[in-house]
Amino acid sequence: MAVEAERGMTDMGSRHEPSTSGAGVVEAVRLRSIQKYFGSNHVLQGVGLCVRRGEHVVVFGPSGSGKSTLLRTINLLEEPQSGSVVVEGREYGPGVPGEPKQRRGDRRELRKQVGMVFQQFNLFPHLSVLDNVTIALRRVKGMKRGEAELRAARQLDRVGLLSKIGSYPAMLSGGQQQRVAIARSLVMDPKVMLFDEPTSALDPELVGEVLAVMRSLAETGMTMVVVTHEMGFGREIGDQNVFMDAGVIVEQGGREIYTDCREERTRSFIRAVL
Amino acid sequence: MLAQQARGFSFDFSVVTNNLDLYWAGVRLTLFIAVTSFVLATLLGVVIALMRLSRNRLVGAVAAAYINLFRAIPLLVFILFVYYGVRIAFGLTFFTALRAGIFAFTVQYSAWLGEIFRAGIQAVPGGQREAALSVGMGRARTFFTIVMPQAVRISIPPTGNMLIGMVKDSSLVYILGVNELLRTTNLLANRTFRYFETYLATVGIYLVLTTAIYYLVKYLERRFAISDVLSQATRRYSPFARNRYQRLRTLQEAVGGGSSIAP
Ligand SMILES: Nc1ncnc2c1ncn2[C@@H]1O[C@H](COP(=O)(O)OP(=O)(O)OP(=O)(O)O)[C@@H](O)[C@H]1O
Ligand SMILES: [Mg+2]
Repeated sequence: MAVEAERGMTDMGSRHEPSTSGAGVVEAVRLRSIQKYFGSNHVLQGVGLCVRRGEHVVVFGPSGSGKSTLLRTINLLEEPQSGSVVVEGREYGPGVPGEPKQRRGDRRELRKQVGMVFQQFNLFPHLSVLDNVTIALRRVKGMKRGEAELRAARQLDRVGLLSKIGSYPAMLSGGQQQRVAIARSLVMDPKVMLFDEPTSALDPELVGEVLAVMRSLAETGMTMVVVTHEMGFGREIGDQNVFMDAGVIVEQGGREIYTDCREERTRSFIRAVL
Repeated sequence: MLAQQARGFSFDFSVVTNNLDLYWAGVRLTLFIAVTSFVLATLLGVVIALMRLSRNRLVGAVAAAYINLFRAIPLLVFILFVYYGVRIAFGLTFFTALRAGIFAFTVQYSAWLGEIFRAGIQAVPGGQREAALSVGMGRARTFFTIVMPQAVRISIPPTGNMLIGMVKDSSLVYILGVNELLRTTNLLANRTFRYFETYLATVGIYLVLTTAIYYLVKYLERRFAISDVLSQATRRYSPFARNRYQRLRTLQEAVGGGSSIAP
């Protein structure tokens, strides 16, 4: 019974997916019929998602439902078995079955346009704060050291950490590390920023400073996809809210989803966490 | 003194001081063998480690077999096998006693070092790779700028222990008639019958060599450790840190007071 319901949702998901033709101008990211397996574990079961420019998408759902995998598919840290990722009109990934093969973008080109912030920060511990933020500018964009450092310092100033440019990650609090990680991504001028539970590894008193940075980033009009358990924050910034369960998008909608959702599964999850 | 006289015996270290040139030649050869073998073994060990971690199953299996094989054979047995077995069976005139020894050390130590380097690379959390890839770095760049520096730091202490072991193990080639420190001592002792004095000097020399390496490794560990350039402590020491301190201060002044999205 449950399995049938899931299938039904998957099908609905793909029917609702807008067609590729005519897409472009306002669209920053589109996932098309993503199928992802880990061995025999069918983790993403034909997921489709459309993110408009400047939109803030919040993804929530129970543990193991595939939220991280979905997010990591957007920059192809996870390679799906089929489906495609469209960023700024260019298509990446293995493609949707049955469609004619078209020329696909290089994964590295995709990643240059997509910033990612991890739950565990993943700062480079052997590099100073400044070098953490400059390394991609220099090694990926080929920028001169002086210019890269100036840009990095400006970015670090925006997240309130200019005073820490000479420190190493191990000397910073979790909240400061996550802000450096945000600066490291932002300095590359991404078209989209992905956040995978950015505050879950933080002590409660440090959550606020990271959310504050994300809030101001949202106000600048940055396109964001945020996986979070902070339902209050999600409700605040989420233009599009996506509830996932067992590898499918069960329901998505505007802010009303938190008070007035269609699906029973969504309702019980929201009731449990709010 | 009394005890010695009672035995009609007294220590005479002039046998050592009169033959310092012999000892020096022995030490030089010992260090030559140890350093040459170790450098070659390190290079080969990196290759073995990378093969071991290769996505190609066959390459990985070959490296694993190499490691298991050479770690299993006693070093002395292997040295004798190379020199008396392989050299004569295949008529390899290239293998002089010295070269056979260095070859045997290189092969065996590369197996051990390969395991150390593999463990070092694997000890770097996967999130490091992912973070590097996510800012657009390629696989090779990710390895060389992000993974390798961290793996090197992790590998320094065990690698230092291997170097100390190498210096000591180099004495095994005395059995092939290589005039390194041990055989030099052995010949001198047999000639002068001053076994205690000559060997005591050699024990002392090995102690000095290994202790020196120990401190070298400690120094390298500290050298690779991280420190805040803007803190007082590091600034005092090196001109490099002072220089960097100045650059960061200038940068801060150039940027300071800009727009902030921080709380
Ligand atoms: N690298 C992997 N190898 C094998 N299975 C994996 C891997 N990563 C995730 N999975 C599995 O895929 C499923 C979805 O995992 P995912 O991490 O996307 O869930 P999630 O919704 O982010 O959960 P959480 O809220 O706990 O972070 C889980 O069943 C998980 O066990
Ligand atoms: Mg997750």
